[in-house]
Amino acid sequence: MTDRDQQGSERVDVDRQTEHGPSNRGLTGGQRRAERRAAIALGVAIVAGVGLFVVYFAGGQTQVEGVLFAIAFGGFGVALGIWANHLLDAREVVEERHELSSGPAGRQALGDALTEEVGPVIGRRSMLLKLLVGAGAALGLALLLPVLSLGPAPGNSLKVTPWTRGKRVVDEEDEPVRLNQVPEDGFLTVFPEGFAGRADAQALLIHVRPGSLKLPPERMAGVPEGTHVAYSKICTHAGCPVGLYRAESQSLICPCHQSQFDVSDGAKPFFGPAARPLPQLPLGVDDEGILVAQGDFSAPVGPAFWDMNRGS
Amino acid sequence: MSTVTERTFKYLDERLGTASLARATLRKVFPDHWSFLLGEIALFSLVVLIFTGVFLTFFYTPSVQEVTYDGPYAPLQGHHVTAAFDSVMRISFEVRAGLLMRQTHHWAALVFVASIVVHLCRVFFTGAFRRPREVNWLVGIGLLFLALGEGFTGYSLPDDLLSGIGLRIFYAVTLAIPVVGTWVTYLLFGGEFPAPDIISRLFVFHVMLLPALLLGLVGAHLAILVLQKHTQFPGHGKTERNVVGKRLWPEQTFKSVSLLLFVTAVLALLGGLAQINPVWQYGPFVPFNVSSPAQPDWYIGFLDGALRLGPPWDLTLFGFTISEVFWPAILFPGIAFGILTLWPWIERRFTRDRAEHHILDRPRDTPVRTGIGSAGLTVFFIMFLEGGNDIFGVLLNVPVETVTRILQWSLVIAPIVAFLITYWICKGLSRTRLRPAQINAGVRLSRTTDGGYETVSLEPVQTEEELEPAER
Repeated sequence: MTDRDQQGSERVDVDRQTEHGPSNRGLTGGQRRAERRAAIALGVAIVAGVGLFVVYFAGGQTQVEGVLFAIAFGGFGVALGIWANHLLDAREVVEERHELSSGPAGRQALGDALTEEVGPVIGRRSMLLKLLVGAGAALGLALLLPVLSLGPAPGNSLKVTPWTRGKRVVDEEDEPVRLNQVPEDGFLTVFPEGFAGRADAQALLIHVRPGSLKLPPERMAGVPEGTHVAYSKICTHAGCPVGLYRAESQSLICPCHQSQFDVSDGAKPFFGPAARPLPQLPLGVDDEGILVAQGDFSAPVGPAFWDMNRGS
Repeated sequence: MSTVTERTFKYLDERLGTASLARATLRKVFPDHWSFLLGEIALFSLVVLIFTGVFLTFFYTPSVQEVTYDGPYAPLQGHHVTAAFDSVMRISFEVRAGLLMRQTHHWAALVFVASIVVHLCRVFFTGAFRRPREVNWLVGIGLLFLALGEGFTGYSLPDDLLSGIGLRIFYAVTLAIPVVGTWVTYLLFGGEFPAPDIISRLFVFHVMLLPALLLGLVGAHLAILVLQKHTQFPGHGKTERNVVGKRLWPEQTFKSVSLLLFVTAVLALLGGLAQINPVWQYGPFVPFNVSSPAQPDWYIGFLDGALRLGPPWDLTLFGFTISEVFWPAILFPGIAFGILTLWPWIERRFTRDRAEHHILDRPRDTPVRTGIGSAGLTVFFIMFLEGGNDIFGVLLNVPVETVTRILQWSLVIAPIVAFLITYWICKGLSRTRLRPAQINAGVRLSRTTDGGYETVSLEPVQTEEELEPAER
């Protein structure tokens, strides 16, 4: 007898199982009916499968294909379900659990197997072991280095945008925007010239009613005619474009998490999860009546980050 | 008689020793209970995900290269879109059976995560995580995270307006990680949003890294299950030392394959009839546009809701900023999932129960655990509701502010109420002694030697001591 044979016969012994339940031979009336139902279900599955061929070669149709797939799989499933419930000779079986643990002796044997042949170095606090750990750590860190190639160093990039003093204000088609081009109570998404569509530079130019802004004088200096105010369009909460403007209450609403900003009061948040106002873009007008920036935004745009308030 | 089958069996057995191994496997006993099928639904959704996913991979282009859309969908013809979006449009409108595969894949993802969550609830409320199954609990939690990661990365691949906004919010969340947030974000996204590398990176995560980990952990999850044998509910003849059920072959195999076919049928039906993620309606991602109302897939809903409920508190400490996003999107999930992960050890600290358990608890018999579980589910459910606050505002014709205020208060009150009600119901049920497992197990009718009949009532066996001698 080979080793494997012994193991095999041992395994047959090991699964001590007790069986309960009927052991039927020959079909009962109920089983005959079950067999018929299963056969019908399989027949339906076959028809649906053939139907799929027809539909596919006829050009395909999503809804019909979905239904036919469902019928084919479903019919197959129904047949197997009926078979499992009515046609199998399955019995309830009691199987004993065996001890999961190998016990102290088993663990000791494993310990011995691990240490027996590795020589006298293991177990002493040898220099070699310390160096082994050191070499592993050094190698591990060196292997991690290429991760740094995945992205540029953040540097200053989150604190600046392409807006600079004298940059013309353009719309998303890169067309310059003039004073009074946007009607009163209207608003427009604007960018610096040459950067139309640029994510971090997007700003909302809002033409507010005269005298409705309550800004400190140094902020009013960036509002041509006291009516053309511009704020960053990136929500200071989670960075969605603040795309909704309620002219009657002069409030901006972020559609993602419903933060609301008071346009008349420096776009300070007054409801919702945002904590900081939308940074203001200081504007002016050039000789041709085109709006220009007087500089970058009044604060870093978009969601907060760790060193946003540290000098660059 | 030496048929081909017999010769094949012999060939394999002589080289691999398969006969005894296969016999032992086929005769393995699994307990029967509908709630043990929840994990199987997750497994079978995964099967559908793999097949439909491989199909989609053959057509999808993970690139943000700008192209002009010239496919059959008229409203977008001539628009500049990314190659990723263009390829998803092609799958949806030009590849035969492509839309069915895409929609089935998306539905399967929703069902996959849902069945994992329900399976997790079953394991939690019945105490199946107790010794010796703590390791498999951890594997299961890992699978939940991987499923969420797979869901989110897959959802973002079409590069449409809705998923682009989701990615934008995820970017804000990683930026809010204290100290290292900016670096982590730049390494992950490849630079300031919307950096061009992100779509191809998401693709590698979605089709390679995460699936490899997922399949590895699924293997471990099942291997540990086989090794430790399944738990069972208390009942007639069931003890801590045995498993009462049906063998893997034939009954469990028939039932499981049948379930696989049903799951596939339902997913195909949904994929064919129920439109999901119609990216052509959202349009391609444009960084300065946004759609409203905007809801993510259901399993991210709680996180989006948490962001909507969050307090507008940012902190500046020594000149450094902690974002208001930190509390709801990093601290809260960190604590909640931390408690969930460590639950087997947290509970043990209080119960001091170090014994092995193979018989499951009925939820009513552990009212504190059941109460804590329903309180936790309530927290997630309220956040999930808040994720649709704009929709509720429109439906109920109340300002969205009111919806948010009500849910903010509910977040404080409702978990406590849920705990108390659950506790009270559990206690009440326990007092009624309505125990399905202990109801009279029935009678055995047997023919006696003299031709008469006798009935033997089957008493429910409660203790090991009563059962052991009979079983041995």
